[in-house]
Amino acid sequence: MKKVLLTVLLVALIGAVVFAKTTIGFIPMTLSNEYFITMVNAAQQEADKLGVELIVQAGQRHGSAEEQMQIMENMITRRVDAICIVPSSSQGLIPVLRKAEKAGIPVINLDTKFDAEAIKAAGLKPIPFIGTDNYYGAQIAGWFALSLLGAEGEVAILTGVAGQQNAADRRNGFYDIVSEYDGIKVVAEQTANWEVEQGYNVTQNILQANPGLDLIFASNDNMGLGARKAVEEAKKDITVIGYDAVPAALDAVKMGTFAGTIAQFPAEMGIKGVQAALDIKAGKEVPTNIQTASKLIYMANVDWFIDYLSDFE
Amino acid sequence: MKKMIFILRNYGMFIGFGLIFLIFSLSSEYFLDVYNLMNILVQSSLIAIIAVGQTFVILTGGIDLSVGSIVALTSVGSGLMLVSGVPIPVAILLGILIGVGAGVVNGITIAYGKVPAFIVTLGMMSIARGGALALNNGKPVSGLPFEFETIASAELFGVPIFVIYMLIIFAIGFFILYKTRLGRHIFAIGGNREATKLSGINVPFNEMMAYAISGLLAGLGGVLLTARLNYATPLSGNAYELDTIAAVVIGGTSLAGGEGGLVGTLIGALLLGTLRNGLTLLNVVSYYQQIIIGAVIILAVFYDRMKTKKG
Repeated sequence: MKKVLLTVLLVALIGAVVFAKTTIGFIPMTLSNEYFITMVNAAQQEADKLGVELIVQAGQRHGSAEEQMQIMENMITRRVDAICIVPSSSQGLIPVLRKAEKAGIPVINLDTKFDAEAIKAAGLKPIPFIGTDNYYGAQIAGWFALSLLGAEGEVAILTGVAGQQNAADRRNGFYDIVSEYDGIKVVAEQTANWEVEQGYNVTQNILQANPGLDLIFASNDNMGLGARKAVEEAKKDITVIGYDAVPAALDAVKMGTFAGTIAQFPAEMGIKGVQAALDIKAGKEVPTNIQTASKLIYMANVDWFIDYLSDFE
Repeated sequence: MKKMIFILRNYGMFIGFGLIFLIFSLSSEYFLDVYNLMNILVQSSLIAIIAVGQTFVILTGGIDLSVGSIVALTSVGSGLMLVSGVPIPVAILLGILIGVGAGVVNGITIAYGKVPAFIVTLGMMSIARGGALALNNGKPVSGLPFEFETIASAELFGVPIFVIYMLIIFAIGFFILYKTRLGRHIFAIGGNREATKLSGINVPFNEMMAYAISGLLAGLGGVLLTARLNYATPLSGNAYELDTIAAVVIGGTSLAGGEGGLVGTLIGALLLGTLRNGLTLLNVVSYYQQIIIGAVIILAVFYDRMKTKKG
């Protein structure tokens, strides 16, 4: 019993904070991915600068709409002034968005876009979005692949979690570019659910079935890093292109094991999210769509990018 | 003093829950708010409902690892029926029947096939998850009729309907467990299987029923989760088996079977829900939330062990 007591006290100590200032709820998709950690750190810096409090909560499981829903409900109860969220599913949070709207708490959508149709069908007000155009970013990857292959070769695509808008956009952006060339064959297309380990396993299978493969486009770096490992173990010469520009991928680019990766600027999303939240609170108009940049990171500019990122560690 | 020890021994779980509650009340001004308390009840309700079935199974000395995957399977199954125009009550019923089916298969294989419950339900965990993914090619199902959402968003006298569902299921579970022959047999099987068999009770049938009930409630959970999100995804119900088992053991039911009950399970589920809610309100980073919840599970069972050893 004493021990139970002690634990509980510890819990209280860890969490005891005094609330007074403007608070913004911030819900990344997870906290087990550098991409979101960068976003959160930048948002935190901006919040500190502007003197607002940031409450960061993420689900423990990647892609759990239910957990995000509960976190959002709890934030609504806490009466935060605004909520910035990277939704884990584009359509699965409609009921709680309705609750937020009812409670008068503005929601700002970062990185992964809510399905605009579903929002409209539910009779909700449009939700401002801040993020990159994933379709365009994947097109950049497609053009890069074409230039590396000389418009000829066999290509595999590792896709993200089915049903997420950015997973579809990235696959389509890349596919629409490379499939226009008769010399390029997309021989395999498999999901690895954004995970390193699954990227590794799926790529092993793809390599087994396609001995003549030339290039793998991984819709995120995690899957690409798994793919890289499988390629190295098979002692094959296959080009890997990733997406997200996470630190491990940047190292891989530096070492030459990744041909390139598409950088989004999650730090920008975090900063602009906090700013938009304050603007809305101050009664200012916020555009419904704020685009942040997409950029190809490869051997020539990787050092510059690493330097830029170090500001948000 | 003796009285004090008696109280600690028999109501430790409630005291622990009360303490956690008290600490959150004192440390967060948002905790003790009617809406927040309702949030806790609603957020705990799905795990609580499924944990009723898990309690039945664990009381027989078994375990059901497949409930989370059955949630996903019934969720996608009922979601697909709804978008293809099947009337809502029919889709709900068929969804629940999917759960019953999976539970019966578990039960028959375990009770009559004599395959260990851990293995069978581990297999079913994979089968049902694969089924959930295969049903719609891994894609989630959206665009469910808006009226379907009302079975989750409705309120009765200001009380969210999920809380009512939870209370009804516990009432029925209570009745079955303490007022029917099936309930007594389930306790008996977990307490002493051989003696139960010798006294002429149909052990396999009663054991199978426990898994069927667990499947049924997982099926119901899947349908309710779909309504809550108004959306069905094959990834849902992830780790529900662990949450329900945690709720049952925190509630003092022995994994060896034969001992425990539903009041403990309800408290266990509410305790988990309260911890998650309170820690979020206090803005504890999710990493530490996991550590704290894990520690509480172990402490609760450790305390329970100490109690039985001394008693």
